[in-house]
Amino acid sequence: MTTEVRSMAEIAQRLKRRWLELVLVSALLLALGVLFSTTGLTLGDVISKRFLGATLRLSVPIAFAALGGIFAEKSGVINIGLEGHLIIAAFAAIAGVIMTGSVWAGFLAGILASTLFAVLFAIVCIEFQADQVIAGLAIWLVALGLGPFLSTVLYGSVNTPQTGSFQTITIPGLASLPVIGALFDVTPPVYLLYVAVIGCWYVLNHTAFGRWVNASGENPQALDTAGIDVIRVRYVSVILSGVLAGIGGAGYALSIGQFTGSGETMIGGRGFIAVVAYLLGNYNPIGAFLSTALFAGLQTLQIQLQTGVLPASLVQTVPYITVIVVLAAVGHTRTPAAAGEHYESGDE
Amino acid sequence: MTTAVQLDGITKRFPGVLANDDVDLTVEQGTVHALLGENGAGKTTLMNILYGLYEPTDGRIVVDGDERSFESPRAAIDAGIGMIHQHFMLVDPMTVAENVTLGAEPRKWGGLAVDADAAVRDVAALSEQYGLDVDPTAPIETLSVGVQQRTEILKALYRGAEVLILDEPTAVLTPQEVEELLSIFEQLTDQGKTIIFITHKLGEAMAAADDITVLRDGQTIGSIAAADTSREALAEMMVGREVLLEIERPPVERGSTLLTVERVSTPSQRGVPAVSDVSFSAHAGEIFGIAGVDGNGQRELIELLTGLSTPASGSIVFDGEVITHTSRRDRIERGIAYVPEDRHAQGLVMPFDLVENGLLGNQRTSSFTDTGRIDWDACHEHASSIIEEYDVRPPNPSASAESLSGGNQQKFIVGRELARDPALLIATHPTRGVDIGSTEFIHEQLLALREAGVAVILVSSKLDEVRGLSDRMAVMHDGTFVDTVDPDAVTEEELGLLMAGEQPARGEQQ
Repeated sequence: MTTEVRSMAEIAQRLKRRWLELVLVSALLLALGVLFSTTGLTLGDVISKRFLGATLRLSVPIAFAALGGIFAEKSGVINIGLEGHLIIAAFAAIAGVIMTGSVWAGFLAGILASTLFAVLFAIVCIEFQADQVIAGLAIWLVALGLGPFLSTVLYGSVNTPQTGSFQTITIPGLASLPVIGALFDVTPPVYLLYVAVIGCWYVLNHTAFGRWVNASGENPQALDTAGIDVIRVRYVSVILSGVLAGIGGAGYALSIGQFTGSGETMIGGRGFIAVVAYLLGNYNPIGAFLSTALFAGLQTLQIQLQTGVLPASLVQTVPYITVIVVLAAVGHTRTPAAAGEHYESGDE
Repeated sequence: MTTAVQLDGITKRFPGVLANDDVDLTVEQGTVHALLGENGAGKTTLMNILYGLYEPTDGRIVVDGDERSFESPRAAIDAGIGMIHQHFMLVDPMTVAENVTLGAEPRKWGGLAVDADAAVRDVAALSEQYGLDVDPTAPIETLSVGVQQRTEILKALYRGAEVLILDEPTAVLTPQEVEELLSIFEQLTDQGKTIIFITHKLGEAMAAADDITVLRDGQTIGSIAAADTSREALAEMMVGREVLLEIERPPVERGSTLLTVERVSTPSQRGVPAVSDVSFSAHAGEIFGIAGVDGNGQRELIELLTGLSTPASGSIVFDGEVITHTSRRDRIERGIAYVPEDRHAQGLVMPFDLVENGLLGNQRTSSFTDTGRIDWDACHEHASSIIEEYDVRPPNPSASAESLSGGNQQKFIVGRELARDPALLIATHPTRGVDIGSTEFIHEQLLALREAGVAVILVSSKLDEVRGLSDRMAVMHDGTFVDTVDPDAVTEEELGLLMAGEQPARGEQQ
């Protein structure tokens, strides 16, 4: 009798939830459908090499930042400043190319700049136990100001001059496959992304260091009593997040060949989308990459949809509205238990 | 027989506190040694010194015949000493094998990868060897507290521990799990391991240990073989005076019916057994006991009585008025006081001081407030009087609740609830985790209430306690009262069967 009552209530609750998800998703599809019909776009335009290639290029900053965010947060340090890492890496990469004339040297300069920011962030958060969210926002704000400022000082404008950029590497044979051939006709940072996604997944799931990162974010005391230095694990993880986000920011800027610093800069919130991407991917690098592809795809689509009758600024909100809908519909991410908490050894 | 661990004249001074004062301890290899003492006697400090967490101010540590000094737990682990803390150090989403091998993972491919299969194999073999019966592939969060504890034991064994220190290992276990743990102790000592366990429970020390060392106020009172002593003698060593272990319940005239519960039911939440169709009455001048294995609906039933939740069906009548659906506030005003099961979550606000905690539930009482303003002077006086009357230590109203030991927290809660001058007191596990001195005191208070004509409803998983105090006793199983019995007439065996849910042959109700 009582179990029946319980299961009835449970079923009702579940139905209500399913129904809500259904409404949300169908509303989204309907809105996208209406948008489509007002433009001349066809499905063939979306399932195409050009579309996939553009999506992959846009994935670089988001996916690398997301991979970095996974390491930091899994170890217990929430790095909300990924946006800042992307901005400073993008600027430093372009400045590096202008100074040295080498695209690869610029790429390294971008990574180095972002890594320095990560070291700073790690010291403030781990050594001095600052609030991680506030410190992360500070990193973003400093980068947001510093990038365009340095550009103005060095080049007389918030936008740098156009420089050389990464050239596409085409893998013969594979690249001529229909549609997915676009995967093998991309710039070096995209190839690097494939390696990084698999590599990060492997490190987190199959190495001792991955276990320690996981334990450090879930129960640092357990890791400490097992004889592993929690502070060191967190430093390495946070610095790694800076390196990865740096690859993303530098790689993105060097596929365009210019740093644009007006408004929200060329990064335009992709560091924050990265946070959503790894949450949606439940801290799994492969999941984070797939959700990144979804957002990057929507951003590509959004650019093409701007040719329709709707105001462009309204169409630009499509990826962000999708983020909200998807988060509401999925909503079962499990955050590390000790994320955001400071740890001091010997807290017996 | 060889000596596994010898502590010689250990002294540990913290700023302002002498935690250990010239303590000696000798533990023979292959034995179970109980470190017995009241809360705050210095047992855990002593073991933390042996485990390398604290450095002793003075004294010698000898392990396996060699004098040692451990500057970190790592050093103690390397010397074959493992410690299982009261709060487990486990990573919830990880599996048993991952937790056991954490920080000492078996590697393959030249260290590039963790050999997950080897970890599972090694842990399974260890579990098999010592009869621990733990599934290496199960995530920690899916396991019961007992199995989690065995995972901690595996962790120590995996790191090569020869001496296992367990801090209050039974505090979190059900009676069945305690039985299992004691048999694990046997398996371990049979294979040459040495066990030191910290406890304040006499019965456990007597049942599980070969030797017992008693600490009081940071000093060694004495070491004795468990076979050569008695509960009474140990209690006196622990407390420093004679302790009444048997509860004496003087006859009291039973008064009128105060509370009538008529066929209450409540649906279950998240798989916890609900209350179904429970009826009983409680009288003035009577202690009505509810016994049973934890998690059989006692908590839900008490929440219905205190007004923390309302029943799906049935009625509750108090002093002639129906209160089935009234709020907790209304019931406080009617004189229903409540000593909750979980003193940290429900009884006290831990960071608040005793003045504020003493006010809890009284914030609308006229002696503490005049239309919106709290009279802190009156509150301070109130807290001080509870502290004095119930011998709460330290006697400082400005001390935060979290700075008190469990026994003193509990005495303060009991004092606060009794100060309401209740007509009905509902006490759930009033002596859980409380040392024997305080337990004796709380029992005396409950009996005094009964003599003063208050109705008391007592829920406890300690059979001795509920049998000794109650005038009548219901046994709860799976959300129902299996039977209501006379605690003086019922045998231990009959109770065991009732607690397992077996209906009595005679359907006699009192």
